[in-house]
Amino acid sequence: MRIFENANFPFTSNWTKAFILSGALIVLSLFALLARGVTLGIDFLGGSEFVIETAAPLNVTQVRGQLDARLGLAPEVKLFGSPNTILVRTTVGGDINETERVIVETIAAGFPDANPTVVKTDSVGPRFADDLKRGAFLSIIFALAVIFIYIMLRFEWRFGVGAVVALAHDVTITLGLFALLHDLVPFSLQIDQAIIAAFLTIVGYSLNDTVVVFDRIREYAAVFKTEAYDVVVNKSINSTLSRTIVTSGTTLIVVFVLFVTGGEVLRGFAFALIVGILIGTYSSIFVAAPVVLRLRSSGRKQSR
Amino acid sequence: MLQGNGLKVLTVLVFLLMSGYYLYPTLSNFRYQNRLASLDGEEKAAYQRENFADIRWASENALKLGLDLRGGMLVVLEVRVDQLVRELATDRDDVFNEVMAQAQTEALSSTVPFVDAFAAAFAERDPDARLSRYFRNSDRGITRRSSNSEVVAYLRDEADAAVDRAIEIIRDRIDRFGVTEPSIQKQGTRRVIVELPGVDDPERVRKLLRGTARLEFRLMVDPRETAPYIQAVIDHYDEGIEETPDTNARVIGDDLAARVDTSSADTSSVDTTAADSAFDVTALLGGEDEADLPANKLLEVFRPYGQDVILGSAFSQDTARAMQLLTAREVAGLLPRDVEILWTANPINVTEDGQEEFFALGVRKTIELTGDVITEATADFDQIDSEPKVSIAMNSEGARTWSRITGANVGKKIAIVLDNVVYSYPNVNEKISGGRSEISGLDSFDEAKDIVTVLKSGALPAPVDIEAEQTVGPSLGEASIRAGTMSLIIGLALVVAFMIFYYQSAGIVADLALLLNIVFIFGILAGFQATLTLPGIAGIVLTIGMAVDANVLIFERVREEQGTGKTLKAAIAGGYANALSAILDANITTFLVAAILYSFGKGPIQGFAVTLMAGIISSLFTAIFVTRIVFDWMVGQRRMSVSYG
Repeated sequence: MRIFENANFPFTSNWTKAFILSGALIVLSLFALLARGVTLGIDFLGGSEFVIETAAPLNVTQVRGQLDARLGLAPEVKLFGSPNTILVRTTVGGDINETERVIVETIAAGFPDANPTVVKTDSVGPRFADDLKRGAFLSIIFALAVIFIYIMLRFEWRFGVGAVVALAHDVTITLGLFALLHDLVPFSLQIDQAIIAAFLTIVGYSLNDTVVVFDRIREYAAVFKTEAYDVVVNKSINSTLSRTIVTSGTTLIVVFVLFVTGGEVLRGFAFALIVGILIGTYSSIFVAAPVVLRLRSSGRKQSR
Repeated sequence: MLQGNGLKVLTVLVFLLMSGYYLYPTLSNFRYQNRLASLDGEEKAAYQRENFADIRWASENALKLGLDLRGGMLVVLEVRVDQLVRELATDRDDVFNEVMAQAQTEALSSTVPFVDAFAAAFAERDPDARLSRYFRNSDRGITRRSSNSEVVAYLRDEADAAVDRAIEIIRDRIDRFGVTEPSIQKQGTRRVIVELPGVDDPERVRKLLRGTARLEFRLMVDPRETAPYIQAVIDHYDEGIEETPDTNARVIGDDLAARVDTSSADTSSVDTTAADSAFDVTALLGGEDEADLPANKLLEVFRPYGQDVILGSAFSQDTARAMQLLTAREVAGLLPRDVEILWTANPINVTEDGQEEFFALGVRKTIELTGDVITEATADFDQIDSEPKVSIAMNSEGARTWSRITGANVGKKIAIVLDNVVYSYPNVNEKISGGRSEISGLDSFDEAKDIVTVLKSGALPAPVDIEAEQTVGPSLGEASIRAGTMSLIIGLALVVAFMIFYYQSAGIVADLALLLNIVFIFGILAGFQATLTLPGIAGIVLTIGMAVDANVLIFERVREEQGTGKTLKAAIAGGYANALSAILDANITTFLVAAILYSFGKGPIQGFAVTLMAGIISSLFTAIFVTRIVFDWMVGQRRMSVSYG
């Protein structure tokens, strides 16, 4: 069984179309980020979350209204996986024992059949939230630095730039999608430690694809010395196409399984991975390679 | 036969054996738990007894599940060293407050010692300023003339000691609470991570961990006041009396009270007369034969003493019931108004069959002095009689109060109460005016040290904040395990099917490697005693998808090599050789990212990083070694025609 064998798609000649598409996606993402912004989870903002199971399904708007009246902190209330489970999220403030008690009492009083039980609590104080923010920030910086250094060591600087541009492209669009879809999908798209982990994984994974293509470019450049560079790049992309599609395919399969059966806790995480893998694959072919090509060509033009 | 793959085969076998070795307890534990779940009652108890040691060993060495899978509570506590430094300082001014604020920002991460940050901020603000302006402690030799480094060393000692003491207190409280396999670990310079599996009452735990230990000095009650109370209470519960009409009881009670009053005027003979009175009462009741004493609910759990300040004693399991009876509404009125009954903190006596006995003491409710005033406590031996004692020092306010109290109560006893139990009730030998005090009449030097610990941990301020917390109910934990396992199985099945479909017989070999991969991942986790969390399971699922990549790279390459007309054997060799650099490059970057995630992440997400790293290592190993061995064997030895799809 073979797909894309002896493929010869005109990737490099269509690079303008690809750049326009990517550009549009990035603009859209930036717009979404500015307009709606990303919502930080309690990991980085501080606050408390309670997952409450009830005997009968509740209307979240009603619950929100009642809790707001009692707590006064404008808590967020959403469904958590099933109609009988709700998630209540409050910002920093107050004693957690008190808050938990008030929430349970309010629900029990307002909805007599509810019989609420708290099955999960998650609380982060402001100092710890700052600590986690620092940790997330540092891990992103370090990861990018490590990646850049590694690429520079293994390949030449143009490849490094190509890789970083592709990564920035991936993260921006994924973040933009998060900002766009937040509150529009039934699962949580708040940025917490797990989502940062997903982003870093996407970064690492996207790099895999990119590196495979770069590796082939380097090999073919040595073999096909006489060919024009863009022909070399095109050949490289085509020859690795089969592998790229298959690998992304298998990874997508498992992450999709995770999304569907992994439980509500992992849903946002799995979603981030799905989006990241799709965009990462796209960027290795349509962003990283063309960037290298452009840098190479412009360099050559200048040196003439 | 092995065609130079001998070393590879050996390596694979070694790792396989190691994985098996590390995973054996987990499998064993799984087997035992299943067996126990299927038995019940007698059979279960018998099975448990027979295999007790094995069951225990298996459960202790099995792969640890994170709290998000097991259910339980994780609490991150922070000892507020900054508050401690603030409390230790006197004469705080704006400069101090500014430096404090700056140090707090610098030391936000718990790995930075607060004292160091404080010293640095202080020096930065004014290199010539002296810390001794704010910190004095004559007991520790910190005076106006102390150098900054001396003060810093002193502060550092205090901070470290405070954090360690806080951890000990927390450990002690958790022990009393009774949790199986709690985990209490210091993190950084002042954080404590407490993990309590299976805990279902987060509210109580929060109170327990956050509460400060309250130290109080209270006067003891004169036995003359409590003896009649004890008599009356015993009477009340004497079933004999309860059955007789009210009027009789009152008469007898009054009569008894009168008798006791006169006979206990002499405190030294209170014991005998009280005892006599008790027997007199029963004689009064008409129960001449002492063996026929009617049942008394109180006396079943409580043995009255009437000796000195001791009201009586009870065994540890009876103390709650005894207290209930002693303070029940009907008899509470009998107790003099300002008096409270408290148990001793530690058992007075341990019987032969291991039962612990505690004293009940009559203590005045009024708190004469609290632990806030104590600035220092040390245990040593008295210079004159070489008896162990505890020397305590108080601040000036405390000293004045102490002087007044001791002056008024020479020859009497003062109870040292911590969290509503009495640690000791030593004699006041003389009025003390220097704000210094001694606690003598101790049994041993150990007791002195214990009191110092109590005083220091009770009095010296180092508040503990709950910085973060995660509680997962057991049902949610089980649901997560189910969801994770299902994802794993379904994901695995789909990938296995795909590999066979797309790469045919080579795909089968890759699938074999994949299964081995999963065994190795679990083996690595078990070997490093890592904890499996829900994100960790997600990491394993992700690895399944990514592990295929290495095989794909090789297979695609082999196909290409075949395409150039090479023999199968040569194509395989070429494929492996050429794909290697791409495989390594790709996986190394993901590994590095996972490592960074592990070092900066906190909580279950570290489990994800760990499984990702383990997965990458094992998938590299299986893809490069295991599949190669199999292919070489298949093609070389068996001369099979392997199809690469």
